[in-house]
Amino acid sequence: MPITIKLLIIGHIKSNINNSPIILLFAFLWPFFLSAKIDFVHQVMPILKKNCAECHTDGKKKGGLSMNTRAEFLAGGENGVMAVPGNIQDSWFLELVESDDLDERMPPKGPGVSTEQFRILHQWVKEGMVWEEGITLGSSGWEPPLQPRNVKLPPPHGGRKHPIDRILDQYTKKNKAAPPALASERTYARRAYLDMIGILPTPEQLNSFLKDESSDKKTKLIDQLLAEDVSYADHWLTFWNDLLRNDYTGTGFITGGRKQITSWLYNALKENMPYDQMTMELIDAKPDAAGFINGIKWRGSVNASQTLDMQFAQNVSQVFLGINMKCASCHDSFIDRWTLQEAYDLAAVFSDKPLELERCDIPTGKIATPKWMFPEIGQIDPKANKNDRLKQLAGLLTHPKNGRFTRTIVNRIWAQLMGRGIVHPVDAMHTKPWNDDLLDFLAVQFAKDGYDLRKFLKFVMTSHAYGSKSDRLEFSPGEEYVYKGPVPKRMTAEQLMDTIWQVTGTNPNQPEANVDRSSNDKSTPFSESKDLPKIENISAKWIWASDPQTRKIKLRTSIELKNKPVFTSLLATCDNAFSFKVNGKFLTSSREWTRPVYHEVSDFFKAGKNLIEVNAEMFGGGSGFIAQFSFGKGKDAITLNTDKTWEVQEKKKWIPAKVVHNYGAGPWKRILDKAVPTIPGQSTFDGPSVRASLVKNDFLMSSLGRPHRDQVVTSRPAELTMLQAIDLANGAILSKYLTEGANNLKAKATDSQKFINWLYEHTLGRLPTTGEQEIIGSVMTNPKDPQQVEDLLWLVFMQPDFQIIR
Amino acid sequence: MNIPESIQRRDFIKQLGLASTAALASNGTQAWGNEDIIHPAAKADSCILIWMAGGMAAPDTFDPKRYFPFEKGLEANKILSTFPAINTNVDGLQISEGLENIAQVMDRGTLIRSAVQPDLGSILHSRHQYHWHTGYVPPITVAAPHLGAWMAKVLGPKNEVVPPFINVGQRLEGVGEKEELKAFTTGGFFGSEFGPMNLPYPEQAVKSVQPPQGMEPGRFSNRYKHFKKLLDQNPNRELMSDFQRESMLRSMESAHRLLQSKEKDAFDLTLESKESYAKYGDTRFGRGCLLARRLAEQGARFVEVTTEYVPFLHWDHHENGHTTQARMKKEIDQPIAQLILDLEERGLLDRTLVILASEFSRDMMIEGVPGSTAKDQSRAKTDKLQEMKHYGLHRHFTGGTSVAMWGGGVKKGFVYGKTADERPLMAVENPVSIEDLHATIYTAMGINPKTAYDVEKRPFYATKDGIGKAVKDIFS
Repeated sequence: MPITIKLLIIGHIKSNINNSPIILLFAFLWPFFLSAKIDFVHQVMPILKKNCAECHTDGKKKGGLSMNTRAEFLAGGENGVMAVPGNIQDSWFLELVESDDLDERMPPKGPGVSTEQFRILHQWVKEGMVWEEGITLGSSGWEPPLQPRNVKLPPPHGGRKHPIDRILDQYTKKNKAAPPALASERTYARRAYLDMIGILPTPEQLNSFLKDESSDKKTKLIDQLLAEDVSYADHWLTFWNDLLRNDYTGTGFITGGRKQITSWLYNALKENMPYDQMTMELIDAKPDAAGFINGIKWRGSVNASQTLDMQFAQNVSQVFLGINMKCASCHDSFIDRWTLQEAYDLAAVFSDKPLELERCDIPTGKIATPKWMFPEIGQIDPKANKNDRLKQLAGLLTHPKNGRFTRTIVNRIWAQLMGRGIVHPVDAMHTKPWNDDLLDFLAVQFAKDGYDLRKFLKFVMTSHAYGSKSDRLEFSPGEEYVYKGPVPKRMTAEQLMDTIWQVTGTNPNQPEANVDRSSNDKSTPFSESKDLPKIENISAKWIWASDPQTRKIKLRTSIELKNKPVFTSLLATCDNAFSFKVNGKFLTSSREWTRPVYHEVSDFFKAGKNLIEVNAEMFGGGSGFIAQFSFGKGKDAITLNTDKTWEVQEKKKWIPAKVVHNYGAGPWKRILDKAVPTIPGQSTFDGPSVRASLVKNDFLMSSLGRPHRDQVVTSRPAELTMLQAIDLANGAILSKYLTEGANNLKAKATDSQKFINWLYEHTLGRLPTTGEQEIIGSVMTNPKDPQQVEDLLWLVFMQPDFQIIR
Repeated sequence: MNIPESIQRRDFIKQLGLASTAALASNGTQAWGNEDIIHPAAKADSCILIWMAGGMAAPDTFDPKRYFPFEKGLEANKILSTFPAINTNVDGLQISEGLENIAQVMDRGTLIRSAVQPDLGSILHSRHQYHWHTGYVPPITVAAPHLGAWMAKVLGPKNEVVPPFINVGQRLEGVGEKEELKAFTTGGFFGSEFGPMNLPYPEQAVKSVQPPQGMEPGRFSNRYKHFKKLLDQNPNRELMSDFQRESMLRSMESAHRLLQSKEKDAFDLTLESKESYAKYGDTRFGRGCLLARRLAEQGARFVEVTTEYVPFLHWDHHENGHTTQARMKKEIDQPIAQLILDLEERGLLDRTLVILASEFSRDMMIEGVPGSTAKDQSRAKTDKLQEMKHYGLHRHFTGGTSVAMWGGGVKKGFVYGKTADERPLMAVENPVSIEDLHATIYTAMGINPKTAYDVEKRPFYATKDGIGKAVKDIFS
């Protein structure tokens, strides 16, 4: 017996130790080790799978014997009991397996079970046939349907016409329960703000919602939130970064073994790119998005299951289909039906060269064929080149008949909004949903609506179900979960930071993310000016530093004027932001490339030499700056245009700027034509506050559960832990925000009653009760004392009502 | 024979406080068939891991070989050790010059000289450290928990007030490869309940259990009192009593309990007598050892104290190895010996497993193991010693590494395993893989190496695939 185990151990160790003497020594070591029990999963399962599964699992019961589970196996078949734990004599299957008589032997085909394998089975029976619960030999009893299914909606009840409510009302009725009552409007508004844009409504925003008496006020609120492109992207970036394993720092970056997709992702969210298109761009590896499928290249050698090809197979299956290919990357999965072959075939779609299957790090000699797992709706051409294979895969993933694709994403979003997936866990889509009508309906609706993520949010958030009182759960729900309304959600680390920053005005100054946060809001950030001449004949060129990826640059030029000008116009814009100085004096700035500045600026110029300086910044994607001065009007006007005579500072030297595009060309087309005359000065639009999703992970966020995104992570911890509580009680990072915040709120706090009401409405969405007022009164004896304000802020931020979204 | 032990353990779990049992059950990780797992009887209740970060050369520390003093023109391949051997207080056991204090405590523990690591292609510190600390070779598909997180998860806190997993001396910001360090300094998929409390500067450890800077203790405790009063006045408190709220309040209570407990004094090194403070030496590592002792005394379950990994610093030398190691040995010798003696004097050594280890060893000539494709990381690329900086073991070596263990039921004055006397200095007797080393540590702590938890519906084992086998020979 020990001999067998020893050999298996060597199998696992071999790949780790290059030196063969050690392996042999290891073998001699065996008798000194602790005697081990047979490991069902790693020793017995493979034998049963290979020799028994074909005829005795997944509905097949040759001889009446089914072996999906331990219980089935023990129940026996037509010939009676086959196996008795701990009893070799009565475990007849051992005899059949060992038999030399081919008429009787099991399995009837093939070479049968080896001597070594027989010893394992023998010992396994002797030890009581340990077979871990939850492991089935066949695939799990339930196979989710692949194709989308149209659901016939039940009739509405109690005026609840929303399809979600019609389905859920039927569900609650079946469970002999009443549908959950509506939550208060205050609760609804707080929930909707936090779910959609990740920050709190201000008391003004809250009250204007409360005061609105129209019957469709919730829809109006959702529409208003949906229009907040930048805030929406800021918030949902966290969810997508987790899902797509994207971050600013992490393993792999130091060696260039990993690339961010932040600019692409942020833009996709801001522009509300349809989900099918997002998927296509991710799989087909649009350059900005290629960081996802290209995975993380580690230095040194890695396990066969962690090559870039296998990472591709695992991540694509998990993210888009809710399939766990991680088990199947080493061996046929024990928990579902995916096989080693399927994992490698999918990896081969991505692989640059023929891919050999390795079982638990041991080469098998078999070569994978580029394929995906659901040939019923189409297959990849194995002979196509890699680019075409990826395109084909993208097409199959987003295929209208691939219901699994839409179900997976709608379930993820449902879990974000409602606190728990219709299928749970969200990455195991082979688990039975608690309501398949609901899941199927949502998936079909999502596709019908053009894979529009925001439209889907609106669809869910305007239902009675979303607006219901949240469910009160004594324990974290297990598999027996029954829907009784939304499950309260704990704020993510990012939400907690964002809301604390929002209330205290302590947002960081600089984002880490290279993203374009200019809003699609077209109103001008400057006050309008008297008429300036019609814009025509633009000969300025788009310029930048020699490397278009340079994020921040300094530009300059100068002009000799005979006299102080009477009239000077400036027309300029920059992808993404600029700030102008003339003769050392600030002239104008903007962070909105879609809204060029057009000013009269003669006051800034003098006779003689005039120095013009520009600080320009690119947030990600394209880069270019363009400006045109006209001194005088009409034919006599002298113009000064951006071109290669301007200088850019590189490595502390001034060199000619690089012309990126002529006007009219490039992604910006004829944007200057649309300029509206305005008065120069500081743009009233100083850009949205920097949000937590846009900065690097820090100790506090990491402690609060923001993951190191080396792996795909799709759920955040639901409960606050002691170490987190210590960080919240005395951690330097939070303390700093509170101290700064108390200082920022100094003026506001002087009217303490008003301040306390404001703080409560802003943070908790309600006013304090008399009892609460009394306690706060004893904390805030002197509203001019910033320490008291600081303590009050802490007290409010630490309320479970604050940190939990109900 | 095993059944009574399992019952013992179950009773033990029952005796744990509410917070810790809830912790054991929370975070969505469920035991994978662990009902059938029988845990061995624990030999130790606490564990201190003394981490020699950066690759400590066994032939220049705990496994001395043929010594040649520096001599210009000497052929490098003649040298196996750059220090002479010294006697210890164990008959026939010699270790390397510079470890005179440790030599006098070798009679209290076991020295394993045959630990081996896999050769992960190019041999990189942070990847090997990840492997050593989690038992899994990165990258893997889920975030692997640290050794300390396993102890926190399976055993819970020893003293409910004290966080079970404390990490002393390693900065995770402002150092090279910090992301790689963070990747394994974590509770992994167990969640942060089981992750480390990080104390990079031992002398400032007290700050992590004090009110925030600038806040008087009175104000701090008042703030929490008001917090509780406000909760009582919350108009929705009945309606909102759910698992998220309860766990949040429980954790807030645990945090404030620690911050107002007597145990918090363990974090304050200024409370140590001057005389005893001085015995640990004037280095961050020495103070880390002192902090580890104080924490162990107050019931910390697992403490790691490190010489700190910073690329190309401390044990991580690629030239000038002899001089660097002389300095490192000076730094570690006294505090480690003192830690063992202090634990013994307090009657804690028997139930505390102290482990000294490093991610791999070093050699003068061979990078990796013979035949390895690893890139030569040495800067002293010469066959003959031209100057002093060429003198030292500069190359990473994974074929034979020393691990010392004290207390926690290990044999006293015992040596296990052997490396070759001539290059390659491979383990030639009783090699111990990472899986088996971990199995040995877990077994000493009363954790079955096959213990598994469910992540993404599949089992994740304490030792990779549950294959680790404890080295029984080293237990007394």
